[in-house]
Parts: sequence; C-alpha cells; structure tokens
Amino acid sequence: MLTLPHRPLRIAAAIALAAGIAILIVLVLWAILAAATGSEGSASRIDIPHLLRMTSIQAGLTTVLSIAVGMALAWALNRLRFPGRDLVVGLFASAIVTPGMVVAFGLLSIWGRNGWINQASEALFGFSIGNPAFGLSGILFAHVVLDGAFAARIMLARLDAIPTPRLKTGQSLGLTPWQRFAIIDWPSLRGTVPGLAAIIFLLAFTSFPIVLMLGGGPANQTLEVAIYAAVRQDFDLAGAVRLAATQIAVCSLVILAASALAPIPTSFGASTAPRWRDRGLARLLQMLVLMLCTIGFVLPLLSVLIDGLGAGIGRVVAQPAFWWATTSSLVIGTASALLTLLLALALALGRGATGNGLLRTLLGMPAFAYLAVPAVVLSLGFFLLVRQLGFAPATAAPFVVILANSLLALPFAMATLGPPLEAIARSRGKLIRSLGLSGWRQFTLVEYPLLGRDIGVMLALAFCFSLGDLGVIALFGTQDFQTLPLMMFRALGSYRGNDAAAIAAILLVGTIVAFVGLPRLFERIADAAR
Amino acid sequence: MLRVENLTFAHPGQATPYAFSLVAHEGEVTAVSGASGSGKSTLLDLLAGFLTPSAGSIELDHSDLLPLPPEARPVSLLLQSESLFEHLSAAKNVALGLPAGTPRAEAQRQIGEALAEVGLEGIGNQLASTLSGGQKQRVALARTLLRARPVLLLDEPFSALDDETRVAVRELVRVLTIRHGWHTILVSHHADDVEALAARKYLLVEGRLESLRDTPS
Ligand SMILES: Nc1ncnc2c1ncn2[C@@H]1O[C@H](COP(=O)(O)OP(=O)(O)O)[C@@H](O)[C@H]1O
Ligand SMILES: [Mg+2]
Repeated sequence: MLTLPHRPLRIAAAIALAAGIAILIVLVLWAILAAATGSEGSASRIDIPHLLRMTSIQAGLTTVLSIAVGMALAWALNRLRFPGRDLVVGLFASAIVTPGMVVAFGLLSIWGRNGWINQASEALFGFSIGNPAFGLSGILFAHVVLDGAFAARIMLARLDAIPTPRLKTGQSLGLTPWQRFAIIDWPSLRGTVPGLAAIIFLLAFTSFPIVLMLGGGPANQTLEVAIYAAVRQDFDLAGAVRLAATQIAVCSLVILAASALAPIPTSFGASTAPRWRDRGLARLLQMLVLMLCTIGFVLPLLSVLIDGLGAGIGRVVAQPAFWWATTSSLVIGTASALLTLLLALALALGRGATGNGLLRTLLGMPAFAYLAVPAVVLSLGFFLLVRQLGFAPATAAPFVVILANSLLALPFAMATLGPPLEAIARSRGKLIRSLGLSGWRQFTLVEYPLLGRDIGVMLALAFCFSLGDLGVIALFGTQDFQTLPLMMFRALGSYRGNDAAAIAAILLVGTIVAFVGLPRLFERIADAAR
Repeated sequence: MLRVENLTFAHPGQATPYAFSLVAHEGEVTAVSGASGSGKSTLLDLLAGFLTPSAGSIELDHSDLLPLPPEARPVSLLLQSESLFEHLSAAKNVALGLPAGTPRAEAQRQIGEALAEVGLEGIGNQLASTLSGGQKQRVALARTLLRARPVLLLDEPFSALDDETRVAVRELVRVLTIRHGWHTILVSHHADDVEALAARKYLLVEGRLESLRDTPS
C-alpha cells in the first residue's frame, strides 16, 4: 500500500499553477483561431498542402536517418572503451541544447560555398563541390547531427542498463556480435524507437533556425519559417494565422500518437557489467561509426569556435549593440530558467503528493501541451494576444519573451524533475510520514539534497534553450531589443559574416559552460545541504 | 577433475584479496556456501572468465583454463535470473547451445531430445517469458545439455523458486550431473540445497574456501 505524506498546500499550489498555464494556452489558441476565422476569404498566396507535404518529407527523412545514426552510434559507444570516452558521451549529450543556428553556421563554414572543403578542393584540384550544406541536404545534415546525437544518448542509456546477468549468459554462450545485437540489444532498444521517432519528427517538423538559415527560400521551408516569413516579410497576418492553426493541429496529432507510445527514461546510470568486447568486423565497424559521428558532430562546432574566436571578434565586442544583446540574452536566459524552475518544481511537487491518477494527469497536461505549440506559433499567439489586450508589442516584448521561453522549456523541465521527485515521495513516503516532517523540512532535508543535480540539469536546459532561441525573439525583436541569436541572424542577412561567426562562437561557449557547469554547481550546493 | 589453486583477485578498493582453492570431481556436485557478500559470485565470475585473477590457476584435467575467454571456456552457466532471453521461444533459447551451422533437421531433433530429458516435451514453441520460474531453469539446463561443456556453474539457481519446484529442479541437476559426468559447482546459501546435492562442501569465509567434512549425525 502506497503511503504518501499529506501535502494539501502543494497540491493546491500545483492545481492553481496548472490552471493558470492551461488558461494561458487557451488564450493563445483563442487569439490565433479568432484571428484565423476573422480573416477568412482574404487573399493569401500560401500553399499549405504543398508546405505540409514538403515538411513531412523532410521530417520523415530526418527521423529515419537520426534513428539509424543514433542506434549505430549508441552501439559503438556501448562497446568501445577509450580514454576520453566520458567526454565524448557528454559531448553528444550536449546536442539537445546546442543552438540550431550554431550548428547550421558550422556546417556552412565547412561545407558551404566558401567553406573549408571547397577552399581545400579548389586549391588542390581546381574545382568546387558546390554547396551541399544548402537546401534539403543541408537541413537533413544539420538535423541528423543534432537529433542523431540526442537519439544516441537515450539509446546508450538503455544499452548501459541491460542487466549484468543477461550479458554474462550471452557472453558465456559465445554469441556473435550480430547475435548479440539481435538477441540482447535490440529488445532493449526497440522500446525507445517509437517515442524517440515521435520527438525527432516533432523537432524536425517545427525546426526554425536551421531551416531559416539553410533552406534557401520557399522550396525548403517548415510551417514555422513560413509563419515568420508571412509576418515579418510579407505582412500577411491572415496567412500566418492559418499556418499556425495547421501547425498546432499537426503537432497535436504527433503528440497524441507519441503519448500512446512507450515513455523514454531520463536517468542515466553507470554500468557495472563485465567487459565484453566484440571482435573482428563488428569492432572495426564500431570504430568507423564512432569516428565518422565524432567528426560529423565535432567538426562543425570546432569550425564555429575557430572562425569566431579569431580576428573578427574584436570588431563585434566594440559595438555597444553587442553588449546590449548580450545583456538581454543573459537576463532573458536567467529569468526564464528561474521561472521554469519555479513552475516545474511546483507542478512536480504537487504531482508527487497525490496518488490520484486523474489529478496527476490533469496537473501534467497543461505543461506538456506546450509541446504542441512551437516557438514561432507561441510567439505569434502572444503577439496577437498582446494586441487584443491593447498593449504595444514593443512594451510587452521582454516579459513575453521570458514567459514564452519558460513555457517552451516546461515540458522538458517536468520530464527532468518529475520522475526523481515522484520516486522520492514513493520510496520515502512512509518514513517521512512516521517522522512527521513538515512539507518545508521534507523539501530542505530530503528532496532538495537528493535533487541538486537534477535541478542543475533542468536550469541548464532552460537557460540554453532560451539563450539559443530565435523563434520567439524573431517576432518580438526590434532594433532596440535584440538578443545574441537575433543579432547573429541580422548580421548574416546583411552579409557581415565575421560578426555572425563571432556571435556563434560566443553562443556556443555560453551553452557549453552552462550545460557543463550548472549541473555540477547545483550538485555541490545540494551536497552542502546534506 | 577441476582444480583451482590460490586464485587471487581483489575488487577495486578491496583491502585483502580473495584467494580461492578448491577441487571438484566429475559427476559430483560441489557446493560453496557463505554469507551474502562473501564473494561467492566473484568466485564463479573468475571461473567463467568474466574476471581476470592476479595470480593462481584453474585447471581441468590438467589443461589450463585461464587463457580462454568466457565463450571458449568449457563452462556452462545457470544464474538466478536472466538465464533465458525472454523474447525468444524455449526452442530458440535451447538452440543457442548448438554449434553454429547445425543443419535444421538435426537441430530440431536435438532440441526436442534435450527438452524431453528435462521433462518439458512439447513446450518448444512457447515464449520464454510465458514460462514459470522452474520451467525456465529447466530450459536453461536443456541448453546446457546441447552445449555439452564439462563444467556447470550454478549461482543461486533455485532461489527464485517455490519449495516444491526447487526440490524437483534440484533433483534434475543431481541426475544430469551424474548422467553426463559434469563437474557441477553450486553456489547457495540454502543449507537444504547443499545437503541434498553436495558430495563435497566448501564454506567461504574471509575470502578463503574452507573444506567441510560431513560430520555423521
Ligand atoms: N564490480 C565490483 N566492484 C567492486 N566491488 C564488488 C564488485 N562486485 C562485487 N563487489 C563486492 O565484492 C563482494 C562480494 O560480492 P559477491 O561475489 O557478489 O558476493 P556473494 O555472491 O557471495 O553475495 C561484495 O562486498 C561486493 O560488494
Ligand atoms: Mg551472489
């Protein structure tokens, strides 16, 4: 029999927050739908069926390729041991927070018309290989770099969690590398594929900065990019609104499908299994896979650092606009990360305090619903809402950008904090009850010390998401209010490639520092509380 | 005869290393008992080749086993859990004991015979996940029959079974050991199992194996 501490206050707070978040999403949807129905009949040249078809093809290809690459990489990483392996695994794990703009920029500087490869090829052979980083191939490449690494991290966790006795049985039976994959690995991996595929499809379907930078015009777009183009370039608000409604409908369908599929584990444990290395061809293949994936992932990021931290950076940091953008980015990132923490913690504590399945679902749903509202759509919704309420978008912009980024990070934050908090409530509920701990002491003595690292991970996720955000700021930014990604995008638009390179490098460094540093920092702080 | 001499090993951070010495004879069950955490599974991991000792020897009929990797050792393994791959049928699990490239008809015949010998005729097509705990261990024993390795290592194989089943599976282990001339090493902390099966008994204390003589009761 499950014993949970009585925490009516936690449940009440969570209900109030969940209701607030739900009301907000209803208002956003209402603002979009009201504008959509109000604009019927107005002439708009946007071909939605064509866009849907193209985006689906792109997202489908991204999904298949990313799962295949991710599985091969996880397989290789699970088998190979080498110095620096933890670093490599950590690097691939950081794909989830690496800003799409930075990866796209890195791919351009390697594969682009004036990239490393072309320069080398012209110098050596006197011809150019064209620009494979542009168009559909470039989009797929950038997506697979990010999503393949993400898939690999999830799948590696599954492989590392295979019970040791199962490995011993297999090893002592002398399974061949192929039998080992089919009999031991695949049954563990199979469960992750539907959920991962749904997430990757959603990410690719709603991709914004990568498609904006590499798509090269209407031939390769997503609905997100089309919405942005409709609002900022064609001033076709009616068209944008119809696109947004379509986007929400498709995303909801994908999420409904995804939620019916197996969930994905979020905790990564170290394996204590005996060493069992594959031999022969399989081992060569594993080394090849690891090498290609590392080059494919690291080279673009490395080129960003090399190009950006070179000569051009002095010119960028001399601009007052750069310091304004940096300040805005840091303030927005910090504020939205803290807001996300507050929301996620309150919701997860409330969910952990109740054993009622329906209530738990109701508390979780509003937060997870924001998966169906990607950045540009949410931004458009807030834009319309702010106008309806009679504010000037420019005045509301900073607050809206912070709020929107928090809401976009909330599903990921809930997925990070929820499972450990609920496990604590379930496993220590009896003890907490019998000791008669107050809610506050339960938090400070039990939950917070056990949660330190997870809180750091969550803050890092939320901070990095909003640091790299282009989708929200793209609609709300002005000449006076811009963040680093927006400044970088504008620099690209006006052919100031050196400025863009410098900002890309700074964004990448900031992301890495936050992603590596915040979890450690909070683990330390929480350890001090033990 | 399986002879283990002064097999030395320490886990990371372990102050005094284990030093195992034991003898196991053909057609006999040799039992090793000891408190939880005393190192019984470590001993079997060393014998099966999952761990590499820092010193000592393992010899089977005077041939040195230490250089062999786990899959090449003349050893079959039966663990408390995970002895079968749950998503495969019983027959497919048993088939993993056959050498690669065994002709289909021949394989089917041998699998059928092995299943019959452990008392499980006709369950070949059932998924392993649908079998009871006792049936699973029997299927694993059928696989051991086809692998035909002279040493059988059992790590608490009856722990997850109810009393009635454990007596039956235990009896099967005893009969198969005699019939096939296995050197069976049973790790267990259940006195009953040891009493019922063992011709030779060891107690693991403080990293050493002490030979126990039967005191007539
Ligand atoms: N991989 C390992 N690393 C460090 N210590 C280990 C490892 N495996 C087992 N141990 C330790 O070695 C001791 C013996 O473990 P084990 O052989 O599993 O004992 P038993 O099977 O008798 O219960 C235990 O104290 C255990 O904690
Ligand atoms: Mg043990």
